[in-house]
Amino acid sequence: MTEAQAPVGGELYAARQKIYPREIKGRFQRLRVYAVFALLGLYYVLPWIRWGERQAVLFDLPARKFHIFSLTLWPQDFYFLTWLLIIAALALFFFTALAGRLFCGYACPQTVWTETFLWIERWVEGSRTQQMKLAKAPLSGEKLVRKGAKYFLWFAFALWTGFTFVGYFTPITELAGKLVAFSTGPWETFWVLFYGGATYVNAGFMREQVCKYMCPYARFQSAMFDKDTLIITYDEKRGEPRGARRKGADAKAKGLGDCVDCTVCVQVCPTGIDIRKGLQYECIACAACIDACDEVMEKVGYPKGLIRYDTQHGLEGKAKKVVRPRTIVYASLIAVLIAGFAYTITHRNVVAVDVIRDRNALFRELPGGMIENVYNVKILNKDGAAHDFAITADGIPGLQVDHGAPSVEVGPGEVQSVAVRLRVPRGELRGGSDIHFTIRTLDERALVATGRARFLAPTN
Amino acid sequence: MRQAPEEYTGKLRWPRLGQDVAVVAWPSFLVASVATMVCFGFIDPVLVGNDDYPPPAFQTRMTGYAVGFFFFWLIAALSSLMTLYLVRTAHPEPADEGTDDGTRSPE
Ligand code: SF4
Ligand code: SF4
Repeated sequence: MTEAQAPVGGELYAARQKIYPREIKGRFQRLRVYAVFALLGLYYVLPWIRWGERQAVLFDLPARKFHIFSLTLWPQDFYFLTWLLIIAALALFFFTALAGRLFCGYACPQTVWTETFLWIERWVEGSRTQQMKLAKAPLSGEKLVRKGAKYFLWFAFALWTGFTFVGYFTPITELAGKLVAFSTGPWETFWVLFYGGATYVNAGFMREQVCKYMCPYARFQSAMFDKDTLIITYDEKRGEPRGARRKGADAKAKGLGDCVDCTVCVQVCPTGIDIRKGLQYECIACAACIDACDEVMEKVGYPKGLIRYDTQHGLEGKAKKVVRPRTIVYASLIAVLIAGFAYTITHRNVVAVDVIRDRNALFRELPGGMIENVYNVKILNKDGAAHDFAITADGIPGLQVDHGAPSVEVGPGEVQSVAVRLRVPRGELRGGSDIHFTIRTLDERALVATGRARFLAPTN
Repeated sequence: MRQAPEEYTGKLRWPRLGQDVAVVAWPSFLVASVATMVCFGFIDPVLVGNDDYPPPAFQTRMTGYAVGFFFFWLIAALSSLMTLYLVRTAHPEPADEGTDDGTRSPE
């Protein structure tokens, strides 16, 4: 094979070159900084908020209960999670159709944590040029100190991130105490390190590679675009032919477009692409190139917006249609789902009953001609207050219920197991029959739930 | 001062092995997370198995969840790995093998 025939993919085997995005200021970058602070602030602060006796947001896996402020969710409420996921997916469709990869640029954890790691890097190692110089410099005391400091800060930040993550699943104040005493349990230690390590590697080293190679959204998002989707684009008609020029020179006379070919847009790009080559799937829509180009345009005295948010129709000189059937349909679907979700979650049945037959005996024949079956009745009280429950059963004539007390008290957010004996006069049935247990609170709210079970009797 | 954009051309990709590890480990991680949630949303790990002899790994819920998660991750990773292997070792479409003059290179 000759040189010329070498496949273009040959570079596949080359080691990856690190990208040093240049720092840039501008309106979109300010917006992104706000987003980072809002999202990470929420993430790091939320587990510390208290709600009465307990942590406000706690996914208590050992107890199989999720606490979210006043709400307590049980495994039986699992479908709410599915519902939430559907809403999230629709929201993603909506925002993608509206303005491309808004999620990538402003909200994706990958971007948000990478951004923070970049800040730390810049703070310790300086600007893009300084960083590159440092990387090329021979090993020296200063290099060692700076690199060491950066890795240490990254490590500490990642560890804190992992700790916070686990703090959503075990009470965080206890966890903090255990952490300083080096007495965290094996799984706690493991998950802190696992999540912290993932943050460290993803945000410190892999960065844009995650978006390029690992993220499914990056690949299919373009399917949700249409010609009215706002995307970050370079106005080729206006910019080309690009070329350097002296300040004040008449570009028109030289036949040049507005792009001065300063490559600043490439230097600021965290994924290392050239937006002037058109929309590429590597672009995470961080809008850094918009801010960078605007700054340059301002300096050379051209109108801003050579790189901007625009739709394909807009670029072709047609009208922009942000409100269109597609966005309207998505928006109304989301609104309906959220309203439905809010209604169901506030109106869900806060009591439930679970009936399991005693496995030791099918039935017992009592002296006096009665057949007895024993059940384990589990009463769930998901409400915020304690309730007294009455247990009844029906399905067979003459069914008697006995659980040794007139009612059962179940505390807020608790489960109570009750051994219940059901008795039926021998002549009433042969074989078996379906029965229903009903639990009812003895207060004016009269919360009710029913559970099905089977009553077994001799076949003769 | 201008920086030549050349610094960025060509070497921005990962080595092949890195890509392979990423496309196997990451999607299976996502799938395993979902599978773990769904599975343990319905099943309480301490109730798994014989009542009298629960498998030792499931004696505490946290261990049960973790074992479940890694089990799902492993299974999903195996599937991803096999898919990757099949895709990587498939012969390319004849059209891709064609050279500019329309002849096909011998195998
Ligand atoms: S491409 Fe994927 S990982 Fe990257 S920012 Fe977008 S959603 Fe996040
Ligand atoms: S092309 Fe522009 S918007 Fe896209 S990732 Fe690069 S800098 Fe960000």
